[in-house]
Amino acid sequence: MIENIKNAIIRFKRSPAFTGFALFGFALILNIIIRGPAVFFSAQSMGTLFSKNAPIILVTMAQAVLLITGTLDISIGIQLALVNVVVIMLPQELGVSIPVAWLIGILVSLAISAVGGFLVAVLRIPSLLATFALTFVVMGINVLIMNVPQGSVPKAYYSTYDSLLFGFLPVAALMILGVALIWAVVKRTKFGKHIYAVGADPKKAFAAGINPTGTIMKAFLFKGFITGIAGIALTLMIASGNPLQVESYGLKSLAACIIGGLGFGGWGSMASGVYGVGFLVLIQNAVYYFFNFLQGTIVGFQITSYWQNFISDLIIMLGLLMTTVTARGQREALKQGISRQIKRGDKHAKES
Amino acid sequence: MQKSLKKDHVTVIKIQSFIKTNPAGMTFVIAILLLVLTFILRPNSLNTNTFSSIILLTMLLSFAAAGQTLVLIGGGLDFTVGAVMSSAAVMTTFMMQGQDGKLLPVLGVVLLIGLVVGVINGISTVKIGLPAMIVTMAISNLVARAQYLFAADGKSLGYAGPSFIRSVSYKFGGIVPSIIFYAILIWGIMFYLLKRSVFGKQLYLVGDNKEAAKLSGIKVNKIIILSYIFSGLLSAFAGMLGAAYMTVVSAQVFDRYAFQSLIAVIVGGTALSGGVGTYTGSIAGAFLMVVLSNGLTALALPDPIKNISYGVIMILLLFAYNRTSAVRE
Repeated sequence: MIENIKNAIIRFKRSPAFTGFALFGFALILNIIIRGPAVFFSAQSMGTLFSKNAPIILVTMAQAVLLITGTLDISIGIQLALVNVVVIMLPQELGVSIPVAWLIGILVSLAISAVGGFLVAVLRIPSLLATFALTFVVMGINVLIMNVPQGSVPKAYYSTYDSLLFGFLPVAALMILGVALIWAVVKRTKFGKHIYAVGADPKKAFAAGINPTGTIMKAFLFKGFITGIAGIALTLMIASGNPLQVESYGLKSLAACIIGGLGFGGWGSMASGVYGVGFLVLIQNAVYYFFNFLQGTIVGFQITSYWQNFISDLIIMLGLLMTTVTARGQREALKQGISRQIKRGDKHAKES
Repeated sequence: MQKSLKKDHVTVIKIQSFIKTNPAGMTFVIAILLLVLTFILRPNSLNTNTFSSIILLTMLLSFAAAGQTLVLIGGGLDFTVGAVMSSAAVMTTFMMQGQDGKLLPVLGVVLLIGLVVGVINGISTVKIGLPAMIVTMAISNLVARAQYLFAADGKSLGYAGPSFIRSVSYKFGGIVPSIIFYAILIWGIMFYLLKRSVFGKQLYLVGDNKEAAKLSGIKVNKIIILSYIFSGLLSAFAGMLGAAYMTVVSAQVFDRYAFQSLIAVIVGGTALSGGVGTYTGSIAGAFLMVVLSNGLTALALPDPIKNISYGVIMILLLFAYNRTSAVRE
């Protein structure tokens, strides 16, 4: 029995998610110290934490799937805004009922992800550059659909999103749980295995009879599905529409995945991404309450939100540096993956 | 029928080999074609103002692309270019307050910013071993945040000195902006670095094959860190000149230059994998990027359409220049 537990701990320590878990644990303890366990774990505080951060957590989960497949999508943030704009404008302008609008929102997200997948998998443009260019296109589409921030969501919808099920379970957390369950099922299918194989080495995967183009395409579609749900969560969170928002989620989700211990391709799990984004979210939370605490106790202590942002970014940077100290395996996978990302991308390189 | 097909095929191969062997020339040709197209579609945009602003913006982007070229040839990637430029611009206006006498201290501080960021970039990528893409993105985030500590609410803090402004945007004969003097300086430095110096030769070798370079006695880490430092210094200087061009500067004003410079350099034929590339190509790439955005502005398209066309054209350029090899190869 004890032996089993010991083995399980050792296995967990060697697993890709461990780095992220260690950092996540650190951030969690920091939060508990600053706010006190009773306040921090109260249903209300947990509810706020989840409802304010569900979109970025879901987006990071989507990004994690792509990273495991050995690719990435930097335009994922602006795609959230696209879903948001569609979901707001359809009921407002065309009188579509809200559930139908949500469905169409997810379909739109699938479509734009299919475009991204086409650029990366079929046209074989390096994913970073392709999806950066795609950002401009999506931005344009967003503004075409909705020129200025506007719109609203019926109160029944967003108060449900903010509410707690059975008095303790945040509805926003349920959305995250749902996506995690879907991934747990998908991971065990053939497609899930192919993702890891293609991420590790597309050439070997091809030699083994897997179609890398199709697998990357499917991974993008799966990402599009999660992004669609994240877009709906975002709409419920802000209860309005804004065509040019959360563009930074692209970079943030990428950083969260790396902090959580994901490499590029074939290495890591979605849990890594969740721990990474948990670290990000909790650090921001801790910095915010810490400065509040200082302002409350020291008379005349004033600090701008710019300092808060700067310090939380600094801690995130340190977290990024920490991962390389703790996870050598990840570092190697990451370096190889990135150089593959980039080095695959050259005509001229072959001639030299 | 058969014959004409063959002929077409030969032309295609010729064009392909021209693109492959002379990316800089090809980029330049595309840029000129785009410019001509713009003038045909909008004849009234054919005036001296258009030319001088194209020259000025091309020079500015080519300065930002200079450091990026060095880092890319060395096999790295520098996303801090935009953030460093913005910080340098914010710092310039903050310190100068319209006084030309402060030029030298400003230059000192601005170059120091570039140096510090360059050193951090270099050490984090080489010594700690994080991938350049991720580290420089995170550092660029930090540098961008740091600007708000000076320029809170994104407000402008002051102005560059009047003579300094004139030294950048005075127009000789109404067309040629005086920034060309800085261009001669920076292009000269780049030419020396890449073509004449030992550093340049070693940089190409390091970018091409790190192991081989190490075995032949090159201090690989030193060369890579140096390339990041040069990039930091060059983008800081570019930001300072940018402050003179923009006159009113707010935080994050040049952040877009990070990706723009990267794409300009790639379109100009520098390989993302390192070891291949010329600065002439980067200048041509910068020219193409500027002509492209000038064309979209001249057509007076609504903003969203402009964004969409910009994105689509970039995708086409990347498709033509930077495809990955097929998995079957």
